[in-house]
Amino acid sequence: MALSPELTFLPDEPRWRWLRGTFRLLPIAIFLLIWQVVVDLDLVDRSFLPSVSDTFAALWQLTRDGEIGLNLWVSMYRALGGLLIGSVLGVAIGLAMATSERANEFFGPLVATTYSLPKASLVPLFILWFGIGDTTDMLTVVLACLLPVIVSTYHGVKAVPPVILWSARAMGTPRHLVLWRILFPGALPSILTGVRIALGFCFVLTISAEMIAAKSGIGKLIFIYGENGAYVHMFGGLLAVILAAFVADRALLAVMSYLLRWDDAYHAASAHG
Amino acid sequence: MSRICIERLDKRYKSRDGDVPALIDINLEIEDGEFVSIIGPSGCGKSTLLYILGGFIPADSGTMQIDGKPITGPGIDRGIVFQEYALFPWLTVAQNILYGLEMAGVPRRRREDIVGQLIRTVNLEGFENRFPRELSGGMKQRVAIARTLAYDPKILLLDEPFGALDSQTREAMQDELRRLWLAQRKTVLFVTHDVDEAVYLSERVVVMSNRPGHIVEEFKITVDRSGGREATVLSSAFITLRNQVWLSVRRQVGAPSL
Repeated sequence: MALSPELTFLPDEPRWRWLRGTFRLLPIAIFLLIWQVVVDLDLVDRSFLPSVSDTFAALWQLTRDGEIGLNLWVSMYRALGGLLIGSVLGVAIGLAMATSERANEFFGPLVATTYSLPKASLVPLFILWFGIGDTTDMLTVVLACLLPVIVSTYHGVKAVPPVILWSARAMGTPRHLVLWRILFPGALPSILTGVRIALGFCFVLTISAEMIAAKSGIGKLIFIYGENGAYVHMFGGLLAVILAAFVADRALLAVMSYLLRWDDAYHAASAHG
Repeated sequence: MSRICIERLDKRYKSRDGDVPALIDINLEIEDGEFVSIIGPSGCGKSTLLYILGGFIPADSGTMQIDGKPITGPGIDRGIVFQEYALFPWLTVAQNILYGLEMAGVPRRRREDIVGQLIRTVNLEGFENRFPRELSGGMKQRVAIARTLAYDPKILLLDEPFGALDSQTREAMQDELRRLWLAQRKTVLFVTHDVDEAVYLSERVVVMSNRPGHIVEEFKITVDRSGGREATVLSSAFITLRNQVWLSVRRQVGAPSL
């Protein structure tokens, strides 16, 4: 996708591809280098900002001790489980809104009024209702994932060209199959873009919810280390989340490029990514 | 049997400044197995007429019948090909051609036979598993025609199907369509703004006026096409008819006669 800068000064040939890949990592490398140098030169207090090398060392130590493994597993389960439930519900509601005036009248105002509400602010309320644990955390994630998927599904369906619908009907598609055979695949590029946005939200919300309302998870881990002033371990936990989210995003991109292998617009946008 | 009969058809479009008439008092009969072209200036409503026949948009008044039965909506007795192809981009070439057969509930074995045969007919061997985005405009239009022929509609409604193609591809496609029509004798209604195309392909050319569209003139095309494209297009009979149709269309555009 167009999230990475296009390196047009390099020729678009296979033998330059590795170099393009390397160049994309350059900003991250520079950032890490500055971080390391700033700490090494004692420009900041080492106890407030641990160095890059210490952070990686802490992550390695936490992983070896088994602290990361189980907590990361729990967090991934909440994040990706919430994403899955939110996406399925979101697609269903989005399809309903795009095809039924009544559904649109019912869900439309709800979506409009809750769209910009920070979902994390609901956590205290959910604690009251559901206590501390998976239900509260995942419900928060589901709500956060729901809205971008609803909106992208709705707009995806509305953007299916009328001639596509006409030719579907001309070829005898019964009304109940139009949704599944035409509107859903036609809206899929937009739906998956919504799911990718929701993927970002699902990690944000999982960590936020766990910091307030969980007995386990990376968010809880980060919170405890932060409270106890074990900042190098707190940074280690943060790094684990960043890496997990990055891997999940890459995995989703791989799935997307397979599912959308037919889509011109997707390929045009990802030609340089 | 598939005779199209249109009587006193009117169509208005709603706009902010009130209703705009698009088609006025269209009367047209098309015989079973006849190839008729509708030609006229752009925006004259010729595509609208085709969409009404396709059952996609309703007429405001008048009657439209196929073999005596009124048109109430889309149906697989009519196959339509759009200028912008309207292929399903998420399906491969073979899946696109299969689609109508699948909807009609044709058994799998029979389906695959028909698709294999059509792929050969439109010269797309080796492209069965490609997606539309990987095809040229001419190939896409061949897929669009093949998928319409697949479910064997009695009537073909073609909306400027070759309008987006380069002239070489367009001529090849015209010859292919002509060959198909001679072999299958389907009833064809062909919308175009290309005078040569209309005269070359059809048995009858109907000229429509500028908006609001109504039928102003009809030409029976009696040209001997047995000698192939070159002999046909260079024959005096073709040139005479072509010039008559051209002048008729030109008058509709309101061009000054110099």
